[in-house]
Amino acid sequence: MGILKRVRDGLGIMLAVAVKELIQFRRYPSWVIAVFIWPLLFPIMSVFSARALAGPEGQALHAFAALSGTTDYTGYIIVGLVMWMWLNMTLWTLGSFMRSEQIRGTLEATWLCPVSRLGVLLGATCSQLLISMVNLTVSLIAFRYIWGFRIVGDLGLTALLFILSAAAVYGLGIAFASLVMWVKEANAMVFLVRGLFMVFCGMTYPLAVLPGWMRIVSRGLPLTYSIDGIRAVALAGAGLADVMGHIAALAAFAVVTLVAGFVAFRWTERRVLRTGALGHH
Amino acid sequence: MNERQDAVEVVGLRKVFERRARRGLLRRAQGEEKTLIAVDGIDFRVKRGEIFGLLGPNGAGKTTTIKMLCTLLSPTSGTARVAGHDVVREAAKVRCSLGTVLTGERSVYWKLTGRENLRYYAALYRIPRRKARERIAELLERLELAGRADELVEKYSSGMKQRLALARALLPSPPILLLDEPTVGLDPQAARNLRQTIFDLKAEGKTVLLTTHYMAEADELCDRIAIIDQGRIIALDSPAALKEGLGAKEVVRLEIQGEPNGLGDALRALALVESVAVRPSANGAGTCELQVITSNSRRSIGPIIESVRAAGHEVVHLQVVQPTLEDVFIRLTGKSLRD
Repeated sequence: MGILKRVRDGLGIMLAVAVKELIQFRRYPSWVIAVFIWPLLFPIMSVFSARALAGPEGQALHAFAALSGTTDYTGYIIVGLVMWMWLNMTLWTLGSFMRSEQIRGTLEATWLCPVSRLGVLLGATCSQLLISMVNLTVSLIAFRYIWGFRIVGDLGLTALLFILSAAAVYGLGIAFASLVMWVKEANAMVFLVRGLFMVFCGMTYPLAVLPGWMRIVSRGLPLTYSIDGIRAVALAGAGLADVMGHIAALAAFAVVTLVAGFVAFRWTERRVLRTGALGHH
Repeated sequence: MNERQDAVEVVGLRKVFERRARRGLLRRAQGEEKTLIAVDGIDFRVKRGEIFGLLGPNGAGKTTTIKMLCTLLSPTSGTARVAGHDVVREAAKVRCSLGTVLTGERSVYWKLTGRENLRYYAALYRIPRRKARERIAELLERLELAGRADELVEKYSSGMKQRLALARALLPSPPILLLDEPTVGLDPQAARNLRQTIFDLKAEGKTVLLTTHYMAEADELCDRIAIIDQGRIIALDSPAALKEGLGAKEVVRLEIQGEPNGLGDALRALALVESVAVRPSANGAGTCELQVITSNSRRSIGPIIESVRAAGHEVVHLQVVQPTLEDVFIRLTGKSLRD
């Protein structure tokens, strides 16, 4: 089969999976509400906590600015939360995709088809990407009118940092989906991983407040560079030269996590064929 | 697959699972890895255009065999070829030649309609869109789902879900079909209709390999049957030849009151009795059924009744019948298919 035909077939399969996932997604109205309402509610607690800590006249803001480089704590929190929500949705969607197919009994039927199994997972990634983009757009519009959130820096550079972050997150998601297929439990794994990222990546606070050993751990997580880089560009107007280190780190993370994700998927695929665990739930 | 080639060729196929013993909430059994030989070196060939059955009790290795043939499970050793393709080395080609329906009604998406399910799988089989539309309409019509094709599958009956799963398997017009317990959970009418569909598929020249633990179904449907027990094929022939293999033997079926403690052994000790199987009666009246295979029912029926009475039981019902496939299984294994 020629390479072009392979690519066309692969894209066709990804599209079929994505359409199927979106149709099913639409058939659970409660999920649509959760996806649109939750992101709007989520920042409220952190923003009001920050407002309380800043004092009635914002007296403590200079202390916050000394650590974070900005007095715009609302924007600071929103960038952190948006990136974390993206990670959270990716882990939930990709982790629960294989698992729910396994529980429904459709995973075996899908694997009986003469298609790349990784292509099927990538199709689920596409539907998740679309849902997350809608979610992100709605959130950014709402944040602008509720909290006055604005991107003041270079949009293109912000988008580049975001795309590199998304690639690293999807690599993690694919590895995560493989792991869930193996351990057969998504919830505890999602809580653990997103909890680690929440604590170590400076989601709502500057990394400078963390103890030394925690800062070392945070350097090993891609979201640290995403959040910090996007804050610098979007909120403080930093340029390409200022975030080159972030871009290089995120590109390296994207390559490593995507390769790790594909290797983990292939390993899990071989393992379930050997153990017969594909249909177990 | 060329003209003379068998549809399925299995040689020395074996599957061994490693299983770790578990003990309760806190204690983890250490060093207690057990090996389970699910399929133990089986050999068989399925000819093109025939309906071939794997008959055996639950846990005999039927589903494991099917899963190895459809590439969902890798064999521990041995080889299997489907349509001339090796199931390990040429898995993608095998999947192109096969339509498989695994047990149960869970292989389709309940939150999609029947038509949406088939559209999705048609895309996975890379059937061009226009051709897929025609094929889906044809299959929905053929399997009597057209009237409810645009309803969510969650509203379908078990029989409809099973027919939809069959339609999914037939989408790419595969020359070979693997059906794992196709009528399990179906009401008698739905099961009868599905059996008719299987006959129709054979008439179209398709090869069908099915598993079942229903003797009557295997007897009615299959051209040849492999009886499988504890991972091994213990007999392989046409249903008629398997029954003829019992010779001029007859089956005495007895229903007795109470538990037949030791009665089975007493009956086995009688002259002319070849084998005895005991199982609780399904009527809930506290009776038990005994199936006694004898070479001469006229001469052995008196001693059988005497033995039953001597053991303190009363004969509730008795009949002498011609052997069925279940009797073949009892003769070969000394136990009932339902044990």
